[in-house]
Amino acid sequence: METVKPLIKEICPTSTQVWVKKGALLVDVRESSEVATLRFNVPNIINIPLSDFEKRYSELPKNQDLVIVCRGGGKSLLATSFLINHGYDPAKVVNMKHGLIRWAQKRFPTIGDTSTVLDSDNLVNCCDNSTNHSTKSACCSSSKNGNSSCC
Amino acid sequence: MQTLRDIKILGAGCAKCKTTYNNVLAALKETNIEATVTKIEDLEEMMRYNVLTTPVLMIDGVAKIKGRVAEVKEIKELLTN
Repeated sequence: METVKPLIKEICPTSTQVWVKKGALLVDVRESSEVATLRFNVPNIINIPLSDFEKRYSELPKNQDLVIVCRGGGKSLLATSFLINHGYDPAKVVNMKHGLIRWAQKRFPTIGDTSTVLDSDNLVNCCDNSTNHSTKSACCSSSKNGNSSCC
Repeated sequence: MQTLRDIKILGAGCAKCKTTYNNVLAALKETNIEATVTKIEDLEEMMRYNVLTTPVLMIDGVAKIKGRVAEVKEIKELLTN
């Protein structure tokens, strides 16, 4: 059951914007009810809820950049790890840190009610509460094109 | 001599994870089975087990129940069968 812990790259919402502009597919692993309330407004996006992920992950292309997203960045981290453990290229699959909460804080495009993620309990300062994972984090240091445009 | 069982509960500290943990303790008490019970709440540690939905109940290295609370009755069955 235990697998090797993959090296996971994490990027911030600003870097995610760059990835999306370069054609990456956003993979939202939130449940459908959450997506119905508030969703990312980007051209290339697919919703595969975590509860269906094991059955449906093979729908995801292996030859395209994938940015895995969720509400806060934790569940998407598990999904990213799962994909890499199932043969996806770690260079093409990244986790978006801090999730939709940070995305909405930064006023990036969404459709729906942002109040569900912008209440005071969710407010955090960008890049000062990095998760304590030994993952390769690209947030706030370099984006895919080498620009340090985060935060 | 009874073999010491290895039980792990994977989950990031949510209510369902806590309930599963408590149910495991109850099942062990009712069956008089000895086990090492470990809570794994760290995301990085969970990634080693390739889990997606939590809580996950692992018995002797095998994921038995994923994504929901394991009830006392079914934990007892899993431990005795």
